[in-house]
Amino acid sequence: MPAIELDNLTKVFASGVTAVDRLSLDVADGEFVVLVGPSGCGKTTALRMIAGLERVTSGTVSISGQVVNDISPRRRDVAMVFQNYALYPHLTVYDNIGFALANAGVQKAERDRRIRAAAAALGLSDLLRRKPRQLSGGQRQRVAMGRAIVREPKVFLMDEPLSNLDAKLRVWMRGEVLRVHKSIGAATVYVTHDQVEAMTMGDRIAVLNAGILQQFGPPADLYARPVNLFVARFIGSPEMNVYQAATDTDGALVLGSQRLAFGQGPAPGRRGEPVVVGIRPEDLTLGAPGDPGALTAEVRAVEQLGSELHAFFAIDARPPGGEEATVRNVDQDEALPGQAHNGVARLDPRSGVRPGSRVTFRVDPARLYFFDPATGQATAWPSGQPGQPAPAASASATAGPPP
Amino acid sequence: MRSSWIHRRDRRGVWFVAPFLLGFVLFMLVPLGYAVYTSLYTYRIIGGTSFTGASNYTATLENGLFWNGVIRVIIFAAIQIPVMLVIAFFFACVFDLGVAKYGTFFRTVFFIPFAVPAVVGAVMWSFLLEPQFGPFTRLASALGFGNTNFFGPNLILPSIIVIVIWEWTGYNMMILYTALKSVPRDVIEAAILDDTPLWKIIVRIKLPLVRPAVVMLIFLNTIGALQLFTEPQILEYFQQGAISVNYTPSYYIYQTAIAADETNLAAAMAVILAVIIVLISALSLIARRRRGEFA
Amino acid sequence: MTVSIAPPVPAPPEAAPESRRQRRRKERLAARDSEIPIELYGLPRGTVTLLTSLAFLFALFTLIPIAWILINSTKTQANIFETFGFWFASPFEFFHTFGLLFQNVDGYGTYIQWFGNTALYAVLGGGGATALSAFAGYGLARFQFRGSRLVFFVIIAALLVPITALSIPLYLTYAKAHLINSIWGMVLPSMVSPIGVYLMRTYASISVPRELLDAARIDGAGELRIFFRVALPLMVPGLLTVLLINVVTVWNNYFLPLLIFNINTKYPLTVGLGLWSNRAVNSGDANLYPMLVVGALVTIIPLIALFLILQRYWRGGMLLGSIAN
Repeated sequence: MPAIELDNLTKVFASGVTAVDRLSLDVADGEFVVLVGPSGCGKTTALRMIAGLERVTSGTVSISGQVVNDISPRRRDVAMVFQNYALYPHLTVYDNIGFALANAGVQKAERDRRIRAAAAALGLSDLLRRKPRQLSGGQRQRVAMGRAIVREPKVFLMDEPLSNLDAKLRVWMRGEVLRVHKSIGAATVYVTHDQVEAMTMGDRIAVLNAGILQQFGPPADLYARPVNLFVARFIGSPEMNVYQAATDTDGALVLGSQRLAFGQGPAPGRRGEPVVVGIRPEDLTLGAPGDPGALTAEVRAVEQLGSELHAFFAIDARPPGGEEATVRNVDQDEALPGQAHNGVARLDPRSGVRPGSRVTFRVDPARLYFFDPATGQATAWPSGQPGQPAPAASASATAGPPP
Repeated sequence: MRSSWIHRRDRRGVWFVAPFLLGFVLFMLVPLGYAVYTSLYTYRIIGGTSFTGASNYTATLENGLFWNGVIRVIIFAAIQIPVMLVIAFFFACVFDLGVAKYGTFFRTVFFIPFAVPAVVGAVMWSFLLEPQFGPFTRLASALGFGNTNFFGPNLILPSIIVIVIWEWTGYNMMILYTALKSVPRDVIEAAILDDTPLWKIIVRIKLPLVRPAVVMLIFLNTIGALQLFTEPQILEYFQQGAISVNYTPSYYIYQTAIAADETNLAAAMAVILAVIIVLISALSLIARRRRGEFA
Repeated sequence: MTVSIAPPVPAPPEAAPESRRQRRRKERLAARDSEIPIELYGLPRGTVTLLTSLAFLFALFTLIPIAWILINSTKTQANIFETFGFWFASPFEFFHTFGLLFQNVDGYGTYIQWFGNTALYAVLGGGGATALSAFAGYGLARFQFRGSRLVFFVIIAALLVPITALSIPLYLTYAKAHLINSIWGMVLPSMVSPIGVYLMRTYASISVPRELLDAARIDGAGELRIFFRVALPLMVPGLLTVLLINVVTVWNNYFLPLLIFNINTKYPLTVGLGLWSNRAVNSGDANLYPMLVVGALVTIIPLIALFLILQRYWRGGMLLGSIAN
């Protein structure tokens, strides 16, 4: 039986806002599940409902098969690491870690053993006498983790624990969190807005937007087979390039004023219809004007990272209209008016691309993603992947009215 | 080495502080200085004013009546302040946790006495406790405690304590409530997840985190209590003889200065009272510093 | 195997314009959402009722004197003392007594004049204190001149000096300088408010960013202009708190005016009511006690009303923040 099971979990706040809308998912024993999405998507609210810190409006939370909606957070055997760590400011690291044990009446000797073991596991042994205000952000974060792991709970919950750390520390701590998770082996639900954290850490990832679950599956699935435009653009950095396009009757892709002819036709069964096409920045390579799938673009700006080069370009295709157009990955800034790029390519750092120049990309039809322009649902994934998206009929059965 | 522009800019700050400083010198330092100066003289009907040095001070320090008054206000403070703070903290906790209904309404009501001047508060309670006709006296009779004299020597101090508690609990409660509200919510949630019982949350988590506010309130309340004047005087107006001329140090000083017209002696007493209060306050501040309250 | 759901997100419907009551209700519910649900505290059943009752009892205690004053302001002197304290009795004398507040009864002073005096002292003294505190607090917070630390310590020390200890010396000084019975003798010392400077300094250092001031200086503005146009608007909530505190302090001040005024036309309300308390026992005038009661009532009504109106803007947080520092 799963360690955690959410069944149509819903939270409507008194102000009328629906923060979580019929969320259903499960977490197996020992699994590391990430809830990810932009700010306000309901991931933290869902986490807090699992903890018992928020009242549930409807639906159920079950832990180890038992419905815990009416069980106090004190009795659920869950431990939580808060975003701002929530350490007891006036207590030492030692007392912070051991607080729950003291409440449970654990004997002093046993308590001491467990506190020291947890501290050692997190590299805190030298800091036991210090108070939180004497610690750095990373150290506080580890104390917060220590406080959670010392309880040996059934379920770990983590609410954006790394978001207050600086970038380098964050990368290192990702590994630490996973290491601790492996050694403890308890089911973990991890909330973050950073899709990189989600992709690198999760066994399975649940992408949420505006309280609604978009997709739930392993990272590779979300990358290669996103179920809709939102997931496709949310996962992957830089964000996937999406455009309104159409396939003409010859099987070529019409993108703005350009016509990309391939050896064989792209997505079957969509000829002659408008479509939304997605191309990942990493799937664009430099080519020559005569190549199959050649796409000419004007480079507007270039970011040289040393390990790769990001070329910001413009083509005269239009972005998809409606809701999907306004959905943005939180990691990406809004384009300023006049900046006028509508695509990014990840290229070799030595490719010598310069701003103001025209380049020709080579588009590989096997790497294209297709989406329904009305609903945003995926209609075709890059070929070579097992399975295809659900056929259009059933996709629109679950879809709401077109925006 | 600072650049001269920054230096010049900073020096302009003096002008902003100047008006206050001027008032401070004129209306705090000068009077204090003049009081000290006056205290060193004595006026006699025969001979006029002459320099007598420390004699006013020794007279006061040797005056049992003066010290009785000092002890009385200390006892007053030692009873009134803890009782009031316990009540204030109790309700501040209750409203902060939200475990009583109509919290906003009650908080507003409790704060109303802060808008009432001490004179008016004392007048209202004097009517209520009036030994012959007051409603509370009648109530006491009805309950079998005939002959209760709230202004009599046994009950006058408790009566004053009740009046002062009435006046100040709301204010103290508001300060403590605001302090409690500033405890981060996630710390309390963490404590709940750690299965901490409520009493422990209050005593071991919230209380230590609002300790600076509690200490400051003790400090402010003590200074106020030691200067007790208005309430005893009003009670005296309602019933002559209810208090003695030396009932509190401030009252004694007032009587000495106005009724007895011995301004020099009164000046000395005022200086001594000021020193006592400043000493007690400074001691409490040092104690705070030692325990690291300034972190 | 992936699970996909996700119909496209529909656009939210146009929200209907809300009435004030609806908005207030939403605020209240939102506030309750932002507090920890009390079930999580694990309290036995009936605790909420018990605590609400205790609060109710204390509220009763708080309101009893005010209720008494309200009810007995309508009675004659005989009735004040002889009838049941918490219910009315005929004749209904409120307006008659209230009218007497406008006259100088038996030479014991005119209430309405005292009211005017108090308002004058409070507005001038409180307003002046706020202005001086704003200037000084800003100067101490945002300028690092030599001696600014010293001044600040002096101010902290000044907080320790008890008011009584200061009033006697002020009285003596005024006596010497012939300032007895001078309005300025009351107003000017009230403008010196160490607690106001302390609070404004704290507030200025929190709410006025240095960079903003430097930017204004680079733009060529003079210091005074910067103060009035840039800093002061940012300090408004703190200003209101300090204003409220200072006005209330002056309004309620008793000891200082008691000493420095000896003609009753200059008395503020506190001293005047004290005078009536003193005289009412001995005087044969059967109006004094009712006037005292009505006078007390009229004294507290404005402040209580002010508090009730301002209570939603009350920056208890600021007051506390400085105290807790």
